[in-house]
Amino acid sequence: MATTVVELQTAHGSGGDIGHADGHAEHPPSSTGMDSRKLIMWAFLASDTMFFGSLIGTYIIYRGRAEALGVGPFPFDIFDIPYTSVSAFVLLMSSLTMVLALGAIQRGNQRGLRVWLLATALLGAIFVGGQYFEFTLFASEGLTLTSNMFGASFYVLTGFHGAHVTIGVIWLLTLVWMSLRGGISQENSMVVEVAGLYWHFVDIVWIVIFTLVYLIPYEEVATGEGAPAVEHSMNLLARLGAALPF
Amino acid sequence: MASVVYPAPHAQPHGDTSRGTATVARPKSQTGLRSWLTTIDHKRIGIMYGVSAFLFFMLGGFEALLIRVQLARPENTFVDAQRYNELFTMHGTTMVFLALMPMASAFFNYVVPLQIGARDVAFPRLNAFSLWTFVAGAIILNLPVLASLPSTLAYILGQLFGWVPQFTLPFGNFVPDQGWYGYAPLTTPLFSGKEIDFWAFGIQVLGIASLAASFNFIVTIFNMRAPGMTMMRMPIFTWSTLITSILIAMAFPAVTIALVLLSFDRLAGTSFFSPYNLVDGQLIATGGDPLLWQHLFWIFGHPEVYILILPAFGIVSEVIPVFARKPLFGYAVMVYAIAAIAFLGFGVWVHHMFVTGLGPTPDAVFSASTMLIAIPTGVKILNWTATMWGGSLRFSTPMLFAVGLVSQFVIGGLSGVMHAVVPVDSQQNDTYFVVAHFHYVLFGGTVFAIFAGLYYWWPKIFGKVLSERLGKLHFWLTFAGFNLTFFPMHFLGLAGMPRRYWSYGAESGLWFWNIIVSAGALLIAASVWVFLYNVLESHKRDRKAPADPWDGATLEWAIPSPPPVYNFREIPIVTHRDQLWVEKYGPGDHAHGQEDELDVTIAGAKVGGMTVPDEQAGEQAAQRAETLHAEDDAHGIHLPNPSWYPLISSVGLLVLVLGILIDNPHLQVLFLGIPLISLVGAVVMILGFYGWAFEPASDPVHSDAGMGSAH
Repeated sequence: MATTVVELQTAHGSGGDIGHADGHAEHPPSSTGMDSRKLIMWAFLASDTMFFGSLIGTYIIYRGRAEALGVGPFPFDIFDIPYTSVSAFVLLMSSLTMVLALGAIQRGNQRGLRVWLLATALLGAIFVGGQYFEFTLFASEGLTLTSNMFGASFYVLTGFHGAHVTIGVIWLLTLVWMSLRGGISQENSMVVEVAGLYWHFVDIVWIVIFTLVYLIPYEEVATGEGAPAVEHSMNLLARLGAALPF
Repeated sequence: MASVVYPAPHAQPHGDTSRGTATVARPKSQTGLRSWLTTIDHKRIGIMYGVSAFLFFMLGGFEALLIRVQLARPENTFVDAQRYNELFTMHGTTMVFLALMPMASAFFNYVVPLQIGARDVAFPRLNAFSLWTFVAGAIILNLPVLASLPSTLAYILGQLFGWVPQFTLPFGNFVPDQGWYGYAPLTTPLFSGKEIDFWAFGIQVLGIASLAASFNFIVTIFNMRAPGMTMMRMPIFTWSTLITSILIAMAFPAVTIALVLLSFDRLAGTSFFSPYNLVDGQLIATGGDPLLWQHLFWIFGHPEVYILILPAFGIVSEVIPVFARKPLFGYAVMVYAIAAIAFLGFGVWVHHMFVTGLGPTPDAVFSASTMLIAIPTGVKILNWTATMWGGSLRFSTPMLFAVGLVSQFVIGGLSGVMHAVVPVDSQQNDTYFVVAHFHYVLFGGTVFAIFAGLYYWWPKIFGKVLSERLGKLHFWLTFAGFNLTFFPMHFLGLAGMPRRYWSYGAESGLWFWNIIVSAGALLIAASVWVFLYNVLESHKRDRKAPADPWDGATLEWAIPSPPPVYNFREIPIVTHRDQLWVEKYGPGDHAHGQEDELDVTIAGAKVGGMTVPDEQAGEQAAQRAETLHAEDDAHGIHLPNPSWYPLISSVGLLVLVLGILIDNPHLQVLFLGIPLISLVGAVVMILGFYGWAFEPASDPVHSDAGMGSAH
C-alpha cells in the first residue's frame, strides 16, 4: 500500500482488476473490472473492423469488373494458392507463438517471453516478406495498382493488411526491447496481452481476406491465357527459390 | 488517520525527470503558453476545443454571410461562381468538422469526467493528442482559405472600384470547391486540382483526432465512473457522449477508407471512383464507380448527423430537468432512444441517394428505416415535454435555448420525415428545401443546444456569471434571426430554387424571400456579437459564480467553480441517479420511482433490470471507494504530469501531411520518391510516439511526497 500511486494515466500505469484474486493494491480499480488498456484496444479493434469492412466491401463490389471489361491480368491468371496458403499458415502459427509469449510472462518467464515474442515477430516478418515477394511477382506479370480494378482493390486491401502486420512486428520488437531493459514485469503482462489482442485480430482478418480474395473461385473468362493452376504455382515456387539468397 | 494533503497538481518535482527514456524534459510551469501546450488536464483541453471551435464557428458564419450577400439580389456579381463554390464548400466543411464536432468535444472533455466523478479521462495524453491533431487537421483544411483571403478581399474591393486584381498567394488557388460531401467524379483528377488533396487530407487528419478521442471516451465512461455509479445512474449527457463516441468509432472508418481510396485515385492513378481514367491523353474505361463514393461517404455521413445531434440532445436533457426542477421523465427510455437512434442511423444512408436510381426495393427499404427514426426521436421530444409538464419552470437563458431546440428541432424533424418519402424527396432533392431542413436540425438543434450548454456550464467552467439580460437578448435575436433565415428557404425550395447555384435570374421571382433570408443571416451574426459582448462583460465585471448556481442534479455542481485541477477532493460515492439532488434534498420526491423502474416484474418474476443486485453493487462500490481513499490518504492526489509528446506527435503528423501536399520534386528522397518534408514529419511523429510510450505517466513519487508539501 505504501508505494501506491493513484495513476490516472493508465497507458503506462498499471490498469486494474478489482476482483483480482490477490487483491493487489497496485491496481487502481476500474468500474468494469477490465483494464483500461485492454478496453481501448477492444474499442480500436471494433473500429478497425469497420476499416477492413469498408475495404473488403470495396473489393467485393469490384470483383469481376476487370473480367467484365476484359482488361487483365485476372485473379485466376495470377494467384498462386499453394504459395499464399503457406504464408497464411505462417501468419496463423504466429498467433500460437503470441499466446506462448503471453503465457510466459504471466508465469514471470522473461526469457520465454523474449523467445516467443521474437518468434512471433519473425513469423510476421516472413509473412510480410512473402507478401512483398508476391507483390513484386504480380507486378512483373503486369498487375499494378493501375492496370485494372482488380489490381487497385487487391493491392489496397492486402496492402492495408500488410501495413497492419508490419506495425505489429515493430510493436513486438519494441516489446522485446522493453523486456531486455527490464520493463515488462509479471504484474505488467497487460502490455503483452494488448499487443496480443491486436496481433490475433490481424490474423483473423487475414483468414477473411484470404478466403474472400484467394479461395473463392473466380469465373474464368476466355481472354487471358488461363494457365493451369498447378503448373503456374510450381513455376512461382521455383522462382521464389531462385530469389532466395541461400 | 493522516490528514490528507493535496499538493498542487502538475507540480511534483520530486521525480527525477531524466528517468526512463524520456528525452524531452518534463514541462513544469503551471501558467503561460507552455503549460497550455503541454497540458493533459481534461478541463484545459476542453476549453481549448471550445475556443477553437468557436473561432471556426465565426469563420464558417462569415463564409455563410458572404454567401448571403451574393444571393441578396438577383444576378449579383459580389463573388464569382468559383468563389461561391469555395464558400459553400468551406462553410459546410468548417461548420461540421471544425465548429460543431469540436464544440461537442469541448463539452465531452470538460463535463463528462466531472459528471462521472473522475479526476481525468482514462488516457489524458491521448486526449491531448486528439486536440492537437484536430488543430493540425484544421490548419491543413484552412491553409488555402487563409492564402486566398487577400485575393478574395481584393476581388470584392475591386468590384466596388471597377478594378479586378490578378494575384494569388501560394496555395491560394487550392480552396476546396466540390462541396462538403465531395462527390466523385468532381473530386477525381480529371475534374479537379490540388484543392481536393487539401480537403481529403484535412478530413483524414480530423478523423484520426475524432477516432482517438472516441476510443478515449468509451473507455473513460466505462471504466472511470465513481463507485456506485452504475450505467443506469449515469447522467444522460454522459450517456449521449458514450453513444456518440461509439458512433464515431464505427462510422469514421467508412469515410477514412473512402478518402484513402480517393487519395489513391488522385496520387497513384487508380480509379476507384471514376469510370474513366486519363492515360497518355486518352480516356480509357476502368470500371470504377462514382456511386461507391456516395455509399461510403453516407455510411459515414448519416451517422455523422447523429454524431452532431446526440450531444445536443444530451445537453438539453441535462438542462430541462434542472430548470423544471423535476427528474428527467422516462430516463431509461431516453437512454434506449439515444441507442435506438444511433443503431438505426447506420441503416438509413441511402435516403441521401434516392435520386441516384438504385431502384424501388432499396428506396422502399431505406424510406421505411428512415421513418422509423422518427419514433425514438419523437419519444425524446415527448419526454422533454413531459419533464416540463407540471414542473416549476425557470426560463433562464440555458432553458430558453433548450426549449428553443425542442420547438425548432421538431420543425427540422418533420421536414426530415417528408424527405423519407421517396417521391417527395425526389422533388425536393438539391433544392433549398433540403437546406432549410438540415439547418433546422443542425442550427435549430445543435447550435441551440451548444448555446444552452455554454450558458449552463459557463459558471462552472470559468467561475463567472454571464448576464441574464444579455443572454435573453442573445436568445431572442438568435431565435428570430434563425427563423427569418431558414424558414423562407422552405418556400424557396418548393418554388424550385436549386442549392449551390451562385446566382438566380431577375425574372425568377425568387428575390423577395432571398433578401429576407439574407437579412435574417445578418441578425444571426448580430446575435453572436451579443454573446461575445456578454462574455467580455462577464470577464470585466468578474462576478463570481457559486458552485451550484442552477441547483443542479449532477456531480459537477458538487465541486467549486471553477473546479480545482484534481476535480474531486474525495471521489464521490454514488447511490442514486440525480445524486446531488438526493444529497441536497433526500431521496424523497426527487428519487421517487427511480430505482423501481429498473426492476421490471411480471407476475412476481423479475424479467428486467439493468443493475447488479444491490448488495453486490454496494459491496463493489464500498471496496472501490476504500481503495481510492486509502490511496488518497497515503499520498495526496497524484495527477499525471504534463507532456510534450502528444504535441510533438501531432506536429509530426502535420508536417508529414504538408510534405505530401507541397510535393516539390526538388524536395524528394531521391531513390524512393518520398517527399523529404514528409519523411522528416514521419520521423518526428514516430519519435513522439516512442517518447510518449516510454515516458512514465507521472513522475515517481518519493515516500514523503505529497505530505505537507504543496507547491
